[in-house]
Amino acid sequence: MPAPPPNQSRQAHRTSRLVNIGIPYLWLGLFFLLPFVIVLQISVAEPALAQPPYTALWQWIDEGLLRIEINLRNFMLVGQDDLYLSALLNSLQVAFICTLLCLLLGYPMAYAIATAPERWRIILLMLIVLPFWTSFLIRVYAWIGILKSNGLLNDLLIWSGLIDTPLAILHTNTAIYIGVVYSYLPFMILPLYANLTRLDLSLLEAAADLGCRPMRAFLRVTLPLSMAGIVAGSMLVFIPVVGEFVIPDLLGGPGSLMIGKLLWTEFFSNKDWPLASALAILLLALLVVPFVMMQRLQQRMEGSRP
Amino acid sequence: MATLAERRSLEPWQDPKAVPYLRIDRITKKFGDVYAVDDVSLEIFQGEFFSLLGSSGCGKSTLLRMLAGLEYPSSGRIYIDGVDVTDVPAYSRPVNMMFQSYALFPHMSVEQNIEFGLKQDRMSRRERGERVGEMLELLKITELRKRRPDQLSGGQRQRVALARSLAKHPKLLLLDEPLGALDKRLRENTQFELVNLQERLGITFVTVTHDQEEAMTMSTRIAVMDAGQIMQVDTPTAIYEFPTCRLVAEFIGSINLFEGKVVATEGDEVVVETRVGRPMRMRSFHPMVLGTPVTVAVRPEKMRLCADFREDGVNQLKGRVEDIAYLGDVSIYRIRVGDGALVEMTLTNVQPRTEQALTWEQEVAIEWSPTSGVVLTE
Repeated sequence: MPAPPPNQSRQAHRTSRLVNIGIPYLWLGLFFLLPFVIVLQISVAEPALAQPPYTALWQWIDEGLLRIEINLRNFMLVGQDDLYLSALLNSLQVAFICTLLCLLLGYPMAYAIATAPERWRIILLMLIVLPFWTSFLIRVYAWIGILKSNGLLNDLLIWSGLIDTPLAILHTNTAIYIGVVYSYLPFMILPLYANLTRLDLSLLEAAADLGCRPMRAFLRVTLPLSMAGIVAGSMLVFIPVVGEFVIPDLLGGPGSLMIGKLLWTEFFSNKDWPLASALAILLLALLVVPFVMMQRLQQRMEGSRP
Repeated sequence: MATLAERRSLEPWQDPKAVPYLRIDRITKKFGDVYAVDDVSLEIFQGEFFSLLGSSGCGKSTLLRMLAGLEYPSSGRIYIDGVDVTDVPAYSRPVNMMFQSYALFPHMSVEQNIEFGLKQDRMSRRERGERVGEMLELLKITELRKRRPDQLSGGQRQRVALARSLAKHPKLLLLDEPLGALDKRLRENTQFELVNLQERLGITFVTVTHDQEEAMTMSTRIAVMDAGQIMQVDTPTAIYEFPTCRLVAEFIGSINLFEGKVVATEGDEVVVETRVGRPMRMRSFHPMVLGTPVTVAVRPEKMRLCADFREDGVNQLKGRVEDIAYLGDVSIYRIRVGDGALVEMTLTNVQPRTEQALTWEQEVAIEWSPTSGVVLTE
């Protein structure tokens, strides 16, 4: 047994530990909690023709009289107007479908990379990450060129004789799906790959030895053991896609209103900061619940791993 | 004395009419240009406890994996119970395997692990429950049935892995280093348990091990492998007492080797001239041509102190004690003889150590009888 450290060094130890734990909390407080409180405060204000364009939360009326105004009308409006609800539902639907598509496309890809020979893996991973080297915006713009009625895709389909008249893909939900799946697929593949490379292949051999055919072995062994990766990948896709603004704005049409675009409109076109803030708060609350649930699930899954 | 019939039922390989349960016919496995298994043929009989013994990389695990269907041979055939299973995938073979890493499913409880194979057979729920209970009881792990693999000790995992591989009542069980991950004491206990289990269930066991003691204790027969080839297949006794080549002699236990050549033959004995001293006279099972280069191999425990050393005595050597290793029950003496070679001799410590006759630097004479060693030609 080493001798207990003298008081002084124990004090220093405690200080350094406090600093270590403190930094992330400070970071969260400064860049998450503080902005959140500001947004929360705006969400209960009223729009005003001023700079900034909303009323203050409190006001000194008289000597010793403080008036605090909490305006809940923004939240009520969001509940009353179908526009917001349908935009929200549309966002959730788009995010859900896109997450599912990413999973269906990404899982086989991640599996293929994880089981590829060692020297191929790094190259294949590079190919997955490579698009990030070009600006996200430019890549989404490029899809306009591909999807528009006289774009690459339609030209190709007409040239090959598969269709006579161009398909209307741009400015539909389909275009959003294509754009989102294209942009977010790496976020699904990377955590899945990280998970699948850890899979002990002797487990699959054991399953085969016990009379399990490859497909069943996948369902009974590989899939449950990669659940943590599936959950992580799905969260990384689902949560940002719900609030996605650029892709629906560039590729979507009037029929595909998403909450992110609505937020933007409220902020910058209508200059209604309080309403936009209320929307943002609601969106956050809506996403935190499934996030916490998934986190719980993931912890349980991780707990069962050696 | 056992009758011939009894002997044959115990040692079916002695019976020319016995039909092997597992027949490996000229199996070769190449990885790239490397021969992992090189033209191996074996016949293993029902109820045997057969060990593949060799150092790592000798191809024993690859051979076992081919029996399980986890690798396919480059050439050759495998027959189980007369059926050619060479091209049958692992999931359709009537064999089960216990993996060296145990390969327990981490997301399933002990019970679910054992039940896994039964589910693949579409066994009814009630039957599965009974079989799982039977296995839990057989391996005395009933109280662990709800636990997950990460909540088990190494020894417990080993039992669960064994239970899982036995659950389907295979007629042939393959075990890859079944005791490799256990500590020494646990390993010794488990050795006996494994043998009892095998005898009780009447299953044919084929195990892979690099531990010669383990192979000696448990096996009915041992195949010693090196560089993808089988060097010798025999009972533990025969492997130890009558190795057929230097490699086997050296791999199992320790042995004194004296190189020389045949200078005379007298009946079933040969006289070998070596560098250490006067000619040695040894029994030989094969007729030998004069001048053949041979190696006389004598185990250390077959050496004894010589009371009447004579300059022309047979199989006698004189030397000086250089090293003594006291192991409690026995002591190993390293004796430097005539031409500078070291000869190893083991003596049982009949008397307490303090009263032992031999000490360092002492001049001793040792001898052995012509029947207590072998003459190797390769």
